Amino acid sequence: MIKQIAIVILQIFIIIALAPLLGGIIKKIKAFFQLRKGPGVFQPYYDIAKLLQKDSVVSQNVSWLFHAAPIISFAAVLTAGLLIPIFITEMPFGFAGDLIAVVYLFALARFFIALASLDAGSSFGGMGGSREMFVASLVEPALMLSIFAVALNVGSTNLSYISQTVSAMGLDALSPYQILAFAALFIIAIAETGRIPIDNPATHLELTMIHEAMILEYSGKQLAIVELGAMMKQLLVFSLLANIFFPWGIATGAGLAAIFIALLVYAVKIVILGATMAMVETSTAKWRLFRLPELLSVSLMLSFLAIVSFIIVKGG
Amino acid sequence: MSEIILGSKSVQLLIALILVSTFMILGSTRLYSCVRAFGIQSFLLACVAGIVAYSTGKNDLYIVAALTLVIKSAVIPYIFIYIIREIKVKREIELYVNISPSLIIGGVLVVISYYLIRSINIMSELSGFALSASMSLVSIGLFVMISRKKAIMQMLGILIMENGLFLGAISLTYGMPLLVELGIFFDVLIGVLIMGILIFRINKTFESIDTDMLKTLIG
Repeated sequence: MIKQIAIVILQIFIIIALAPLLGGIIKKIKAFFQLRKGPGVFQPYYDIAKLLQKDSVVSQNVSWLFHAAPIISFAAVLTAGLLIPIFITEMPFGFAGDLIAVVYLFALARFFIALASLDAGSSFGGMGGSREMFVASLVEPALMLSIFAVALNVGSTNLSYISQTVSAMGLDALSPYQILAFAALFIIAIAETGRIPIDNPATHLELTMIHEAMILEYSGKQLAIVELGAMMKQLLVFSLLANIFFPWGIATGAGLAAIFIALLVYAVKIVILGATMAMVETSTAKWRLFRLPELLSVSLMLSFLAIVSFIIVKGG
Repeated sequence: MSEIILGSKSVQLLIALILVSTFMILGSTRLYSCVRAFGIQSFLLACVAGIVAYSTGKNDLYIVAALTLVIKSAVIPYIFIYIIREIKVKREIELYVNISPSLIIGGVLVVISYYLIRSINIMSELSGFALSASMSLVSIGLFVMISRKKAIMQMLGILIMENGLFLGAISLTYGMPLLVELGIFFDVLIGVLIMGILIFRINKTFESIDTDMLKTLIG
């Protein structure tokens, strides 16, 4: 019992503590590719610490929703974090939900932020909210299909079970459908974390922003919570990619040494994924909003192909 | 024997990647990235031929793999790039069917070709994947030919079809006799050259390689 509580606390601590660091590392790698020096990797921590010390300026026209939304979305993302294997496959809350629950917890977080963006009645907020929902409506079917491709391969939608099985399979898990589903989920990860072909996290240019437009009304402590929630979501999407498709090295029991190794391997995997994401961001330009359906239908088609090739290979 | 080779994980992975590269051609709007995707597809095909050659021990197939590597993934893309550069064509491809619908049609074609292959009874579960991939390459190549306006894309479509036939030949029979393969390669190469010259002529006469314009009368 104590061991399980310790695992839960460690997992929450890792998610909250490492999420800003990942953002900082990606920024640093991007700066490296652009031949800039860039801010230090700990800059997001300073930003959040500073925001937490400031007061919030709130519009007089907002309802309770505006105050509740950051907390609800933060809690939803953190709950999703308890369902995704980070360093150990036997998670205490593994029974409580599967991949589909994770998808909808992310959707819940997104829904409340979009509602809050409409609440203040500013024009940018509404624009950001409608764009976010537009992207979400395209991402969700592709995300579901690619997840089903993985689930078909393993025979369960439970995340702990998936990562345990795939890690036990070793290199045998490297099948066509797994690769296709990974490619699909990688494109979705770009959309979910708001990175460059879809959204530009580094700009406040009103014509292009999606996420930034939604949270324009927030300031101070509330902004800190929203930003931390977005960073946590980014870390969790990366963990999903890392620990569903390449879970090798993850701890299957609760031994201290195994957990320590698993944490190291996890850090390496996340940094590699982050570096790949930074490379994609540096080498592509932001796409016009109405071209996004093309990119996301590529992802939809890839996950569809994953399922079809599963059926072909297994002779369904 | 056939089960072992074509069922091996590496060949399956390569065939999946070939399908991905085909969808890259369907999904991109730039001529250069279409040509690059075709080069990648041919390179993967050469890898498949190499693996089949290694596991069957047929020396002919090594030559076929090497020829695929040189002609299809280097020379032909180079000819394409040369044509694009020489006639200074606009680099966006124009479409009759938009990107998203053509991706969906591509997916439907894959499913249809799977069911067609399944209804043939020679299918063993493993080479079935290679065979249905080759069938879908042929049908997607045909679709590229009828849904793109630029004459260059028609050329690319027929080459995708040829790649599909090559994959089918390798997965069914471990390659045809060397003489036949050599003939096919020569055919493809000369075909590309002739089509290239034809595109130059079309461009000279109509000042565009848009196949829509071919209907207009030139006095």
